Amino acid sequence: MEADGKLMQRPPAASGRTGSPGRRVLGALDAVGRGGRHVAQHAGQLGGLLWGIIIATLRGQVPLREVAAQAYWMGVLSLPIVIITAMLAGVVTSQQGGYQFTGGVPLYVLGSVVVSSIVLELGPVMTAIVLIGRVGARITAEFGTMKVSEQIDAMQSLGRDPVRVLAAPRVIAGILVVPILVGIADTVGVFAGMLTASATVGLGREAFFYGARLFWHDWDLLYSLAKGVAFGFAIPLIAIHMGFRTAGGAEGVGKATTSSVMFMTLTVLFLDAIFPPLLLN
Amino acid sequence: MVEYQGLYKTFDQPVLAGVDFAVERGETLAVVGPSGTGKSVLLKSTIGLITPDRGDVRINGESVFFSDARTLRRIRRKVGYVFQNAALFDSMTVFDNVSQGLPERELRKLRRGDLAVRVAEALEHVNLDPAQVMAKLPAELSGGMRKRVGLARAIVGRPEILLYDEPVTGLDPMNGAVIHRLISRLADEMGITSIVVTHEIEGALSIADRVAMLERGQIRFLGTPIEFEQSTQPLVRAFLDRDAALGVLEQV
Repeated sequence: MEADGKLMQRPPAASGRTGSPGRRVLGALDAVGRGGRHVAQHAGQLGGLLWGIIIATLRGQVPLREVAAQAYWMGVLSLPIVIITAMLAGVVTSQQGGYQFTGGVPLYVLGSVVVSSIVLELGPVMTAIVLIGRVGARITAEFGTMKVSEQIDAMQSLGRDPVRVLAAPRVIAGILVVPILVGIADTVGVFAGMLTASATVGLGREAFFYGARLFWHDWDLLYSLAKGVAFGFAIPLIAIHMGFRTAGGAEGVGKATTSSVMFMTLTVLFLDAIFPPLLLN
Repeated sequence: MVEYQGLYKTFDQPVLAGVDFAVERGETLAVVGPSGTGKSVLLKSTIGLITPDRGDVRINGESVFFSDARTLRRIRRKVGYVFQNAALFDSMTVFDNVSQGLPERELRKLRRGDLAVRVAEALEHVNLDPAQVMAKLPAELSGGMRKRVGLARAIVGRPEILLYDEPVTGLDPMNGAVIHRLISRLADEMGITSIVVTHEIEGALSIADRVAMLERGQIRFLGTPIEFEQSTQPLVRAFLDRDAALGVLEQV
């Protein structure tokens, strides 16, 4: 105790670390252990949530009316922001590509650059980022508020399974709707890019699509939609998981929503990074 | 009948430390005790909303923690739960909130008219005018009305047991008295077994057949309201008598 007391009183060393090397190692191991336990907790709870959703879906117990309501809310009501984002992505890609190709590279290659960039990357990822803010954050805040105000407990006390009634419809709706949004974003982005190319570097529609066809693979579209399915599954699943973990009143809801947005963004970018080695080689 | 058998639960520190008692059919039991002594945890454990580290709860002989999901759902249908802040579903009207108290199968089978009759009956039971409140959202109701809607939701499925978590907390004395009268009336008219967790000792003594005092995760007193009032235990006296409470606080 005395030694501990002395350690507590000792001013921080120049390096900013305190304690003996052995104590530092123990501290580091403790931090690793706590981090590992935290990750294991998340993984276990996410696994349990996913299992509950799969079971409810296979048993046909998911309320279809709720799936439709969520699909409308996630899909139709997200359309304006998804379209605007895709349009801007197409405009920027086309402008920057046009700027770089004013040299030896044939200008029609711009068509391929715009289409590939939008379909393979920007369409799905920008749509996912928009949905993280619009759909994911709202789901976490909604579930978090329900958790801290005991509405989730109330639901359970009434014999309703929150995973079946609340979680499963949102994940199913995400899987169904996000690929469609990605398809729309791809189309809008490509046409916005084409119009921009025409307006900025004078690349006509036929030349643009000639360039686009040169390096086009039909698989690219499936790849883009597959990303939509993966993101449409991951965003609501993580948002729900973080909502269910919420504790501690209004502040807890705020913290859970912030963590959820970070977690969803990292997951989308991680999934985006593992897609090429899995599906493009 | 509700039986608590050796319940233990620890969060950061022990909250329940071996709780053993039973509540008889048709009885109203008030659970009192200082804040943070595990009263709400005990109540939530009753229907498995919180899983204890050890022990079990048996409702009419059926285990809450050693039953499959289907049995647990069936057990929960026998029990109505009135939450501290009512826990009404924000996005639903009073009508929809109360109708959620019915089992899903029954809710699907009932015609809209029959459902409206059931919901109206439950609202009238708690002294609310169905025509006035049915279409309202929870945010449009006062605290007392929300509690009564929560109570209506708990009784619409005609439960055998009602659990009340701080039913009068946050209410003015008049609304508190209304809720206490409702608890007594529901117990008498419907023969419901009631477990009431509360801080409000006067009201608890007026409605309870027995009083249990929970302190540091254990039942320290279990007896009738008269026995409770006549008890010489310092903790009980502290609860009943402000001067004694100050004495206990000073000792702490």
